[in-house]
Amino acid sequence: MNRRQFLAGGSATLALAAAGPAFAQQQRLRMIFWGSQTRAERTYAAADLFMKANPGTGVEGEFLGWNDYWAKLATQTAGGNAPDIIQMDYRYIVEYASRGAIAPLDDFVGTALNVADFDPLQVDSGKVGGKLYGISLGANSVAMMVNRAVFEKLKLPLPDASTTWDDFSQLAVEITNAGIRRGFYGAADGSKNEQIFENYLRQRGKALYTADGQLAFDASDVAEWFDMWAKLREAGAIPPADIQELDQQNIDTSLLTQNKVAVAYANSNELVGYQKLNKEPVALANFPRLTAESKGGHYRKPAMLFSVFAKSPNQKAAAEFISYFVNDLEAAKVLGTERGIPESSKVRDALSGTLDEVGKTMLSYVSGLGDLAAKLPPSPPNAAGEVLIAFQRTASGVAFGSQSSSDAAQAFVTEADAILKRKT
Amino acid sequence: MFLTPWLIGLFCFTLGPIVYSFYLSFTRFDLLTAPDWVGLENYRRILTEDPKFLASMRVTFLYVLFSVPLKLAFALAVAMLLNKGIKGLTLYRAIFYLPSLLGASVAIATLWRTIFSADGLINQLLWSFFGINGPSWITNPKYALWTLVVLGVWQFGSPMIIFLAGLRQIPQDMYEAASLDGASGWRQFWKITLPLLTPIVFFNMIIQTIEAFKSFTPAFIISGGLGGPVNSTLFYALYLYQEAFSFFRMGYASALAWVLLVIISLFTAISFLTSRYWVHYDD
Repeated sequence: MNRRQFLAGGSATLALAAAGPAFAQQQRLRMIFWGSQTRAERTYAAADLFMKANPGTGVEGEFLGWNDYWAKLATQTAGGNAPDIIQMDYRYIVEYASRGAIAPLDDFVGTALNVADFDPLQVDSGKVGGKLYGISLGANSVAMMVNRAVFEKLKLPLPDASTTWDDFSQLAVEITNAGIRRGFYGAADGSKNEQIFENYLRQRGKALYTADGQLAFDASDVAEWFDMWAKLREAGAIPPADIQELDQQNIDTSLLTQNKVAVAYANSNELVGYQKLNKEPVALANFPRLTAESKGGHYRKPAMLFSVFAKSPNQKAAAEFISYFVNDLEAAKVLGTERGIPESSKVRDALSGTLDEVGKTMLSYVSGLGDLAAKLPPSPPNAAGEVLIAFQRTASGVAFGSQSSSDAAQAFVTEADAILKRKT
Repeated sequence: MFLTPWLIGLFCFTLGPIVYSFYLSFTRFDLLTAPDWVGLENYRRILTEDPKFLASMRVTFLYVLFSVPLKLAFALAVAMLLNKGIKGLTLYRAIFYLPSLLGASVAIATLWRTIFSADGLINQLLWSFFGINGPSWITNPKYALWTLVVLGVWQFGSPMIIFLAGLRQIPQDMYEAASLDGASGWRQFWKITLPLLTPIVFFNMIIQTIEAFKSFTPAFIISGGLGGPVNSTLFYALYLYQEAFSFFRMGYASALAWVLLVIISLFTAISFLTSRYWVHYDD
């Protein structure tokens, strides 16, 4: 019961944590989440606090990287032995809820589960078809991770709410040309980053998906998007394709962490992880504007949610654990803002005095988006994950020069449509 | 009686899943809800309208075509060197066999990624000895597959051990007689060693071909699980995994697995049919 399996990147290590005697525990809760070592340490510390406060209940957790996580969770769900508490993403909640894999939590609200101090809009972000299937663990928004030391050294202004893509391009070119070290570029190549693409579409008054799960953009949007990045690549603002491919879309392999670029793209809550792995100070900035007037590309979303497995025999205890996780002030201190800005106003107030530099940066970023932030889009359709992979592959192809922007855009839209219509 | 553990294993962990996967290949199954019978739809789609199936076939065939012959040639060459009766044979044998034990493992694939990346060992050597600024091998679609072929060839240990055993079986008096007749070493190889070794070559070829078709781990680790860049390392097994566990199409993935089984069987059958023209059994 006091054994937890640390699973990261395929290698398993076993760590022992001291907890109460096993015989005193009547029930055992299992929890699964994705994330980095930093997240794991904080989560286990909060679980230990919960076990101290509830001597009858044991909690054991398992964590994996994002890619492996969904494969494992799907397999466990199919086998009927998924953990009681499941970390859920906004991208997948519709899929899991509509197929009956996670339990509605409405009956526990007010008793085992306390969301009284939540902003009602944020509670609703965990609803599917009017029922509550997930509790937000924190709010975040997409952001640029900026190596502040590089900007200060070159006496360049940090990108802010007034920066346009043209300004950004100039900044990036200047950094590259400054030649800080061999193979150092202004910014990472974001052409295959769906989140920046979504931000770009929203600034043009479009979106990734319509409410009924169809594409909400057309090939010309994609072609212009690829062209924008091709120009940045040509100008030397971003690295060539084979360097960009070294980024495996996690904090460890990010080109910012690898010290090859001064700007990378991520979610605001990941600042905790980025700052831990980067020696130089990391700042947050919003994505650039298309024009001085454009707005509303960003939105605040649940960084992640906790859901409860539909076949869990311990649903009430699981709800109690989630409630503790999002409301308890002691737990909040160890969790900090690593999963985003806490949703409970009481927790936010209690934390505000004790926040470290990283937490303050994040809080002021997420609450200070102003006119850059607009409404939360509907949660994406089931096949969105596959469309994303097609998007990334197409963008790589353009970056390597194997296809022109317009051909690639047309091919991608055709492929994405086929994926969304596919039945088997 | 003594077979019981083996039989239980066979029925529970081998035959059961095989039969179940055959059933699933005729269904739509997303892991979360119950399978839904769709008849031959999965097979129809694989064979008529799946560009990724063709892309992964192309990658896999290229890999088999290049890695297997190179690996066998390398294994045979090293086996012949070791067969010269050098001192410390067991030590060398162990050293050369080591990559095969490690080869498919996660650690080696990660190491490979580091060696062949933009500022990896290979490029540092190229830079310091030849002044060449090398590309990032593993993340460039032009070279990514070939770094995996090199990784495959490097794991020549197990065919080498088998070759070594085969070489020991060849009677020494044949070579002595040939030397007396004035045959060169090269000629002895072509006229004595290779013909007598053909059964071993055949065996190794079959085993290695099947292994190469099933290759998964190196591409999975090196491409970050997606078969990139631009599908250049989308091995068949990787595509199958993607369909099953990234896109939750267990039914379709099962159908892909059965198609692979048919392809491997065809390959093996053709090898056996043609073998009587080039494999010499000593009788």
